[in-house]
Amino acid sequence: MGSAIEAKTHKNMPGADKEADLTERIEAFLADLKRGGCGTGPIRGSGETARETTALLRKVTAQARWSSAGDLMEIIRKEGRRMTAAQPSETTVGNMVLRVLKIIREEYARSRGSSEETDQQESLHKLLTSGGLSEENFRQHFVHLKANVIEAINELLTELEGTTDNIAMQALEHIHSNEVIMTVGRSRTVEAFLKDAARKRKFHVIVAECAPFCQGHEMATNLSKASIETTVIADAAIFAVMSRVNKVIIGTQTVLANGGLRAVNGTHTVALAARHHSTPLIVCAPMFKLSPQFPNEEDTFHKFVSPHEVLPFTEGEILSKVNVHCPVFDYVPPELITLFISNIGGNAPSYIYRLMSELYHPEDHDL
Amino acid sequence: MSSRGGKQKKGNVTSEQEEEEQPLQAVLVADSFNRRFFPISKDQPRALLPLGNVAMIDYTLEFLTSTGVQETFVFCCWMSNKIKDHLLKSKWCRPTSPNVVHIITSDLYRSLGDVLRDVDAKNLVRNDFILVYGDVVSNIDVSQALQEHRHRRKVDKNISVMTMVFKESSPGHKTRCEEDDVIVAMDSKSKRFSMVTDEFEIRHDLLDCHISICSPQVAELFTDNFDYQTRNDFVRGILVNEEILGNQIHLYVTQDGYGARVSNLQMYDSVSLDMVRRWVYPLTPEANFTDQQGQGCTHSRHNVYRGAEVSLGHGSQMEENVLIGRDTSIGANCHISNSVIGNNCTIGDNVVLDRAHMWNNVHVSSNVEIHQSVVCDGAVVKEAVRLNKQCVLAYNVVIGPNLSLPEGTVVSMHHPEEEEEDDDDEFLSDDQEVGHSKDKTRQKAFNPAEVGPEGKGYIWKASMNDTEDEELAQCLWGLVLNPDPESDSESEASEESQDRTFQLEVLGTLQRGLEENIVCDNLVLEINSLKYAYNITLKEVMQILTRVVLEYPFQQQGTQLTTLQYTGSLLPLLKTWSPVFKNYIKRAQDHLDCLSAVEELFLEQDTHQTAMVKVLMKMYQLEILEEEAILKWFSTGATNDKSRQLRKNQGVMRRMSLWRKESEEDESSEEGECGR
Repeated sequence: MGSAIEAKTHKNMPGADKEADLTERIEAFLADLKRGGCGTGPIRGSGETARETTALLRKVTAQARWSSAGDLMEIIRKEGRRMTAAQPSETTVGNMVLRVLKIIREEYARSRGSSEETDQQESLHKLLTSGGLSEENFRQHFVHLKANVIEAINELLTELEGTTDNIAMQALEHIHSNEVIMTVGRSRTVEAFLKDAARKRKFHVIVAECAPFCQGHEMATNLSKASIETTVIADAAIFAVMSRVNKVIIGTQTVLANGGLRAVNGTHTVALAARHHSTPLIVCAPMFKLSPQFPNEEDTFHKFVSPHEVLPFTEGEILSKVNVHCPVFDYVPPELITLFISNIGGNAPSYIYRLMSELYHPEDHDL
Repeated sequence: MSSRGGKQKKGNVTSEQEEEEQPLQAVLVADSFNRRFFPISKDQPRALLPLGNVAMIDYTLEFLTSTGVQETFVFCCWMSNKIKDHLLKSKWCRPTSPNVVHIITSDLYRSLGDVLRDVDAKNLVRNDFILVYGDVVSNIDVSQALQEHRHRRKVDKNISVMTMVFKESSPGHKTRCEEDDVIVAMDSKSKRFSMVTDEFEIRHDLLDCHISICSPQVAELFTDNFDYQTRNDFVRGILVNEEILGNQIHLYVTQDGYGARVSNLQMYDSVSLDMVRRWVYPLTPEANFTDQQGQGCTHSRHNVYRGAEVSLGHGSQMEENVLIGRDTSIGANCHISNSVIGNNCTIGDNVVLDRAHMWNNVHVSSNVEIHQSVVCDGAVVKEAVRLNKQCVLAYNVVIGPNLSLPEGTVVSMHHPEEEEEDDDDEFLSDDQEVGHSKDKTRQKAFNPAEVGPEGKGYIWKASMNDTEDEELAQCLWGLVLNPDPESDSESEASEESQDRTFQLEVLGTLQRGLEENIVCDNLVLEINSLKYAYNITLKEVMQILTRVVLEYPFQQQGTQLTTLQYTGSLLPLLKTWSPVFKNYIKRAQDHLDCLSAVEELFLEQDTHQTAMVKVLMKMYQLEILEEEAILKWFSTGATNDKSRQLRKNQGVMRRMSLWRKESEEDESSEEGECGR
């Protein structure tokens, strides 16, 4: 193979080099995903992963050989399957693949002349009579399809860029003066949300440290740098402190199809304590975290990392006598959640199914 | 691409542009150069043995790739064809691999030294490289160590030649290889591996990961010193010649990550279990990092991993830390814990497996119990067999039925005698060897008492003519260990012999002094110079001097002296040499030390115990010893039964009090002390 540097210099050359470069990029991305997250959560935020996936899929669309929408969808599906298999816990990757597939469907339909309006509208009649456009129908060739799809993917990218800002913009509607807010661990979205509110209001944030990774410490440092009054508490103190809290605002790793969450360890504790004290629990989750996965798919649901953080390897003899586990995620059932704040506004957990059908095509749910 | 991207970022930090342009290289030695895994490694090179159903070399390559290595040289010797085939089929040799793997084979490599000399001869490395063995399992991020190494090299112009990666783990950790137990002395500030510095720490809580970052000079140094065989030789050589050559070795101690070398079956067992327990995350079984079709498996509670198409009979339990490969079927009512089972295995009913490591295509019949054992490819375990701890069934062995193998049994299709026979051609190509051994297997009958009525295989006995590591009785599991490490006894021995020669020298000096009538002051001078020559403390000098003088009559006139003759010849000598004594015995502690030396000698010469009193009296009279010291010694010094007896000896007591009365000094108070 051409060495890495060579491949880079030949990036702009047409033909075989282009394809080799593409596969190399995909392989590198896969390898990255596999190694991703050495315990302390993903190295990159999921927003970045989403953008990277989308950019890669755009590259696939631009550089792979395909003649019809059906071919393209097949290619995207194939790559998508590999990407999701590389790191099943990173659902954003799969979500982005679904989004792109949906875009292709829409662009194809538009090129064909059928209006998106009718396609989008779902009625009982339509559900019963047909499953929409079937695969055979994607064989038609359109000259502008490629450009249109790439254009639509670019729009998606722009949307992804703006998600955190869009969510943060809504902060003032939810956080009022002199409130006590609790959060758990570190979430980039929640951090931006709180910082945005702090520009106008004064409030107090309590951060649960979220052992064993203790990302809460980092969160608290960042918040206090933005001159927000911040307190770090141990996870064991969550229930005790909850009675003083006005609102719980958390981030999440994934929003599941039933409106539940797959979030960092300790979130369930917070949610239960909040329910006990009838404290509203608000989840800041960009739309790209919405996954068609249900919580019963147990094999890929969890992620166990090296137990090093729980009981250091240096402990010596005791390690041969005990089993140590270090799970990363909690499942939070939808009934504990009051409100989702996404980049398109606030929604109740019961509305998630609707968003799901808007974002993803039902036929794509399993790649 | 990831590695490139990562590296460039690092490059910006260290701003070592010209270095960054060259790809990071690694040298992977896919040979152990010893026979610890015999007879298993007779059929398969160690690097290809499966650990969690993945060949060990794949872990090493994945480790290297994830650290950003872009070019790896794999050196193989023993069964190089198999390693080559394996690598060519793996993802490492695909054109998209970010890590370009070059395979270099030669039958002439006999040690790590040979490999590195070849690296130098072929001029393969241009920059710092990572040196690992093909059986290292690790997820340590060495980029930090690499950065430190580069920084050091930049600061002091290539003085540092090697950075060794160590992982903190306290003694007694099960993943600490007992053979590898290291005590490391390092300079606390610069993390330099050191012999003597002003400020250093000695650490026994480190686990050698067998990962080293080497400068290109390392290969050159191996060429220059053709007697270096192993990395230990190299480290020793560098440390000994540190002042002459100015080369240094540094350490990188990490707390995170995991790194261990599978150097024996004990380690194999531990590392395999650690892997299943996810210590090596993200190198876990379900990650399928080798990208092989059908190797994927699912991970569920209690670290149970199941491959595709696994069937589990009714009532069977996979308790914890179990990995089962694809297409394996397990019968009813089995109990499986802490085990790894390969692909295509069949396991009967009522089987108990605990810490069993089964490779591919193993058949286990019903009612079998296996504890902490390794069962290699194609082995068959018949009904009602029990494998006790640390058994090994090598390739294609058949055992049973109705047999219990005692602890530590190794069964192989290779007859143990053939080992010596093909000693010479052990480094020849493997197909020849296999043909060889097959012929022989047919000639010899299997012993049903050893392997059961339907069994096939021979009990493997470790050959005693193993020259590679004598002190480790060749043992697969590596549990047999010399209780006291060689180095300790060596240093003690040398110290003792030093004392001995010093004693002889002192004796010679005194003898000459007597014969030639040398002044005592000159004798003192001579003894002092001897003291420096042999690097002996003042206390030891005095004790040895006392001993030499008291033994002098024996030395001159033989040991058959009567007590009277002895004292007769000794007392004048004491008088002659009293200035010498006085020179060395000054402080109160010196008096006591001298007395204890006297006591020691008379304890050895118990026939002459009565002479002791006279000696002490003479020494007192000559003012060599002070009375107070003698009394103090008498009252407190009794350390064991014998010396107490010596003191209680009637004669001694009486004479003691006698001469004390003669001395006429404040008796009453001391009498009381004496009586106590």
